[in-house]
Amino acid sequence: MNCVLVRELLPEMAIGVLSDHDRTAVEQHLRWCAGCRKEASELGQAAATFAFALAPAPVPQGLADRVVARVRSASGAPGTRRRARTAAASVIAAMVAVAGLGWGAVQAGRADLFRDRAAEADQRRVTALEQFQKVLSGLPVRVSTDTAHLGQLAPVAGGIGGGAALIYSSPTVEDFAIVIVSGLSRVSPSALPLRVTLENPVGATLGAGRITSLDADGGGEVFHQFAGDIGSYATVVVRDAAGHVVLRGTVQRGATGP
Amino acid sequence: MSTRADGPLTAREEQQLVEGMLTGNEDSVRALYARFARPIFTLGLRLLGSSEAAEELTQDVFLMAWRKAARFDASRGRLSTWLMTIAHNLAVDRLRRESGASRPRLVLVDELPEMIGTDEEDPLIERDVAVRALESLSDGERRLLTRAYFGGLTAREIAEADGIPLGTVKTRLRTALIKVRRANQDKERP
Repeated sequence: MNCVLVRELLPEMAIGVLSDHDRTAVEQHLRWCAGCRKEASELGQAAATFAFALAPAPVPQGLADRVVARVRSASGAPGTRRRARTAAASVIAAMVAVAGLGWGAVQAGRADLFRDRAAEADQRRVTALEQFQKVLSGLPVRVSTDTAHLGQLAPVAGGIGGGAALIYSSPTVEDFAIVIVSGLSRVSPSALPLRVTLENPVGATLGAGRITSLDADGGGEVFHQFAGDIGSYATVVVRDAAGHVVLRGTVQRGATGP
Repeated sequence: MSTRADGPLTAREEQQLVEGMLTGNEDSVRALYARFARPIFTLGLRLLGSSEAAEELTQDVFLMAWRKAARFDASRGRLSTWLMTIAHNLAVDRLRRESGASRPRLVLVDELPEMIGTDEEDPLIERDVAVRALESLSDGERRLLTRAYFGGLTAREIAEADGIPLGTVKTRLRTALIKVRRANQDKERP
């Protein structure tokens, strides 16, 4: 979809009445087009303004407590039993942002004539990684950045998509790996599941789970815990069902880039 | 964390609130609720038609905001816009799902939204901004935005109902939104 078509649809997108099909197409365009993204943002702000023009209605008593309880429960804040699991979910949420931006950077790289695009994507990636580090430091379950190895996944030559990986190795809790992929919408369903493996410098390989389905944006994730130490495993490989490498990357301690 | 209860938030304060929410910080959630629950609930009441549905929507919005918190970037847009967009999209999606049709089941809304007066006691700065922005529109533009935003009507549906070209409706929608945006620019965050 080109800019002319997208801009024609942006007012309806801002107002929330665009069909799912058109919305998906517009969102894909906005990932790499800074100009249309700016217009979408401005129209979205205008539409949101409209919501505030309504005469305010009284809010039911006790709703604040119910909202707080739901968010606390979902976030796994102290006092809930799902603490560790949802801590991982918070990491995943942060990594989705990183992975998405990684994909944007890949797209920008393909359009290497458009340096401003590449520079913008790079800046966004750095910002996202900084944000990710802040999220790590704020988790209810302590995930030290000293033992969190972070990196981005890139497609093999001619491929598409991107991703991010976190390998967490700790002497006190079970090691785990989280891998997020995105932008793989062109991957055929017959190529699923995607298999994620970790490799160390001497060629040992560990299975880190399978991504059995992808969302509309070609995104998916896997969270895998390990009984042993995975600290030496720094290479992450994502293969399709036929064994072809789709994405590959290396994590680094306190990494701030691919 | 402690946050002022009124007045516009700085980008840094907005980012801190959302990051606090991401980790389940109760003060952050309550600060967000204090500022935005009422407009979200009001929007839900208007779009979904019942207090129960509006309450459910309000809870869903804060839960969705937590899920998307890592994506929020205060340097790219205001928190109020982000939350109200989540609220509106969830409400419209719910209408579509419940009606089983390709568009919301709402009846045509011809009246203007119940505009509040500028003497409203509520300190929420966005309301004042909204009223001023909507004053910049003609009656026809306000009616058009009302039918689309609160009525869930697509440009095509409005064009067919009014017997005017689709392109004209799209242009008018865009023009009206740009007018609102321009009026808002005088009230950008500190």
